[in-house]
Order: sequence, then structure tokens, then C-alpha cells
Amino acid sequence: MSTKKFSKGFLIRHLILAVFFLLTTYPLLWMTLTAFRSEGDALQRPLGLPARWVLSNLQEVLRSGRFAQAYINSLLVCVVAVFLAISCATLAAYAFARFNFRGKNFLYVLFLMGLMIPVHVTLIPLNQLLGADMLGLKGSLSALIGPYAGFALPVSILILRRAFEALPGELLDAATLDGCSNLQVLWHVGLPLAKPALNTVLIFNFLTMWNEYAFALTLLGASRQTVPLAISEFKGEYDLRITVVCAALLLVMIPLIVVYAFAQKQIIRGLTAGALD
Amino acid sequence: MYHITVNLLRRQRKNFSLQELVIFLLPAFAIYALFVLAPVFLSFRNSFYYWDSPLSEARFCALQNFRLLWHDPVFWSALKHNLLLLVGSLLFQLPVALGIALLLNYPTWGRGFLRTVFFTPMIIPSSAIAVLWQYIYEPHNGPLSALIRYFNPDFAYAWLSTPGSSMFWIFISICWQYIGFHTVLFMAGLSTIPDELYEAARLDGASEWQICRRIVLPCIKPTLYVSATLSIIGSLKYFDLVYLMGAGLPDSSREVLATYVYRLAFDENQGRYGYGSSVAVLLFILALIIVIPLQTRKNQP
Repeated sequence: MSTKKFSKGFLIRHLILAVFFLLTTYPLLWMTLTAFRSEGDALQRPLGLPARWVLSNLQEVLRSGRFAQAYINSLLVCVVAVFLAISCATLAAYAFARFNFRGKNFLYVLFLMGLMIPVHVTLIPLNQLLGADMLGLKGSLSALIGPYAGFALPVSILILRRAFEALPGELLDAATLDGCSNLQVLWHVGLPLAKPALNTVLIFNFLTMWNEYAFALTLLGASRQTVPLAISEFKGEYDLRITVVCAALLLVMIPLIVVYAFAQKQIIRGLTAGALD
Repeated sequence: MYHITVNLLRRQRKNFSLQELVIFLLPAFAIYALFVLAPVFLSFRNSFYYWDSPLSEARFCALQNFRLLWHDPVFWSALKHNLLLLVGSLLFQLPVALGIALLLNYPTWGRGFLRTVFFTPMIIPSSAIAVLWQYIYEPHNGPLSALIRYFNPDFAYAWLSTPGSSMFWIFISICWQYIGFHTVLFMAGLSTIPDELYEAARLDGASEWQICRRIVLPCIKPTLYVSATLSIIGSLKYFDLVYLMGAGLPDSSREVLATYVYRLAFDENQGRYGYGSSVAVLLFILALIIVIPLQTRKNQP
């Protein structure tokens, strides 16, 4: 067997994978190195290691204070919108899984249709709806909460309904027979048992909202930015200063990559959940 | 199991009150109706109005917007770009992802680590990916040009500001973002194939290529289907990368439908809500026409 282990196929396979590994990581590596270069160095020798490692780029980004504020904004919006979406989706998914009522299938299909609606179809109407004439939220962070929660519902309801249907029905029925209302059954029996699905939905929605760009671009003003909006605006202002923008990119990506390194399995499962179930 | 449970419940007395039904369904429905359904309907309504500025009154104009669209070269180029990206995803992105997944299906050094690394671009905001790749493609000091100049000192090419080919380079960065995602999907599909199947085929003397064609591909057909559906839906939704990376180009070579909607309605000096909505409506209809047959076929065994 040991001779077969290093056969030609084995080497070619690892060579291709190594090339693909480089293609995936090199842009990120180049960005990281550039963030620590001096500006002259980046212009003259864009490849290779920095001639001298400097922290001034990162310091300049931190001094601008843009990303601290953007992180707070993103956190506020995502936490509220995720909480809203998951609580509503849980209730609805439980009803779809456990109740039989007229129009159930129609309503469910209506929710699932949301999976294929491109969000950009709604940009103009949401701008009207949230604008000064109607809800008057445009420009503030709260303008994002409704659209984020609304578009998070279809996939959340889909995953949670399947999770509730996979629970042993007798268990839930027994709780009902003991005199629990459906809300109590959901709270005391359904939720604890559906925890893995809730985690999945939580991760999926949080990351999707954290990285969302089009709604933030349309509905927020220059003074209130989420992280994805802040980085593109920052590039607009500092366009020619590659090293500073790369430092900003680093500050945007590092927290995500650190969290990912610690919870890769859950995050991969979360982001592929809608597709793999 | 599911059917048994449902049948049991059906035979049972109703296990909920009307009040409960409302408490459970109303919050989700209200949010969904207000922020998803109503905007779609409003888009349809807007598309029948002449409305050239948010400040002016909208005026009913029947199908005038759609007639304009028919003669609008930017609209057709946007549609063409969407379809090209769609075909590109199916013919390039998915096969590459499948290939990588097949390679990783053999015993491989650092398999789990590679899977994690390949998936990484999916967790990064796509606006950050767009900014990063704009520098990668930077014609003077960008790493790509510098790398090529290492071998050919006279090399000069403006990757993202050459009309006609810039969309291809944007497509490459889209692939960078999504190939890892599809690789992970395919790996999950491949892991459902029992080892005995491979062993049996090898004992029968099948070549690796035959195993791949006769066993692997038929077994992961459901995954192929899901992957294809996701990249089709995805290619109609491209916005972030195309919008940010194509900023410097003339109208007719930078738009996809989603970015055209945005630019018509919100870019400086535009504010064409009515006309923009008619593009949005066509985007919506296109998504339905392409996706509904896929979904209904998927639900049939």
C-alpha cells in the first residue's frame, strides 16, 4: 500500500489542490501584506514581503473612527433584525408544522416565493415606503430592520418547519393533552428540541444581514453606515492609497475570519442549510 | 414518518384555536406582506407610470415604459450580461467546483482544512471582495499586472476599464467568491455515496473515469440540481460585485438588470422610478420563468 500512496495520481491531485489553495488565499495574503507596507513600497514592489513592516496604515484607519461606528451600527441592525425574524419565523413554522387550516399550502407557497424574489425588485418601492411621505425611516438604521427581517423569513420558516415536523409528534401532542397551550408547547418542548435548527437559522441570517449591501446602499445616508457600506465608501475616499484601504479591508475581514476559525463547522452548516436539507 | 404524523393529526380533533392561529401566523405574515409582497406589487404598479423624478407626480402611461425598454440598448446589454453570467456559472463555476470536490473525495492531506479554506470567501462581505479585487486588477501596481510584468515587462492592460471584457474579469472574482460554496455542497453530496459502491465497482475492474460517470454523477444528481438552481437564482441577483467593480465603465458594458434598476432610480441625476420599476418587473418575471419549472421538477421524485 505504501508504494501506492505516493503514486502519480496522488501527486497530481495534491498539486491541483495546492494551486487552487493558492488561488483562494493569495488575494487575502496580498491584502494582508499590503496593509503592513509603506506607501512607496506598495507602489514600487507590490509583490513579495514588505520591505519594512509598518503599522501606520492600520493606525490611520483606526483614527478615522469610521469602522468603530460602522461595527456598532451593523451589530445593532443585525441583532434586532435577526431576533425579529427568528421569533416570527418560529411561530409561523410551528403553525405550518402542527396546525391544519384552510389555505395553509397557499400561504406556505407564498412565503417560499420569497426565496426567488431578487431583493432588487423591491429597492424602489421600499424607498417609497420607508421615505419621508410614509414611514419616514429612510436614512436611519431602523429602515433596514423591516426589509432584512422580511427577506430572512422564507428560508427561516422553511428550515424551522422541517425541524418541527421531524420532532416526535406524540411528544408535542402529549404536552397539549396535559393542558398546555400551543405557545407553552412551543416554548417548553418545541424550542429546546429544535435548537440545532435554530442555531443554523441564526447563523445564516446573521451573516447574510451582516454582509448585505444593496439595501444599506439605498436606505441609509452618508452619516449612518453598516460595515459593508463603510468599506466601499472608504475606498471611494481613499482610492489612491492602496495600503490604507487594504488595512481597512483587514479590519473588516479579521473579526469574521476569527469567528469562522472557531465555528467553521456550524458556519458552513448554517450557510449551506437551505441547500442541503 | 412525516406522512404518518400528518395523518394522525388530521384524524385528531383540531389542536388549536383561531386565536392561536392568528398569534402564530400574523407577525410573520405582517412583516412579509409589508416588506416583501407589497413592494413587489408596488413595483408592478410603478412600472405603468411615467415618473421621472421622486419630486414630480407620477402619471399613468400604460405600457409606455416597456415600449421604451424594448428600444433601450442598455437594457438589452444588461439582460445579455445576466444570461452570460448564468451560462458561465453553469459551464465553468459548477464543473470546477465538482472537480475540486471529486479530488477531495479521495484520501487527501488536510481535507477538512482545505474545505474550510475554500469556503472562506463566502463569509466575507461581497462589497469588501469587490474593493479587494479592484486592487488586484489595478493596471499599474496591482499584483496581477505586476505578476505578469515579471515575465513580460511591457505588459499593460486595464482589466476593469476595457469595455467588452471587464464583465469577464468580474465573473472571475464572482467565481472566486462562490466556487468554494459549491465545492462544499458537492462534497456533502459525495459523502452520501456508500464506500461499498466504489469497492464493488473497483472489484469489477471499472476505471476511475467509469466510476465517476456511472456511479458518482448519477448518485449526486440531487446535489447537482440544487447547485444549478442556486447558481441560476444567484446569477439573476448579482449586484454588489458588478455595481462596485464596473463603476468606471460606460453604461452599455457595465450593467446587469439589478444594477440597472439601481442606477436608473438612485444614481445622481436619475430618479427614474417608473422606468426603473419596469426593469425590476422584468427581472422579477425572468426569475419566476426560470426558477418555477426548476422547483416544480425538483419536487417530483
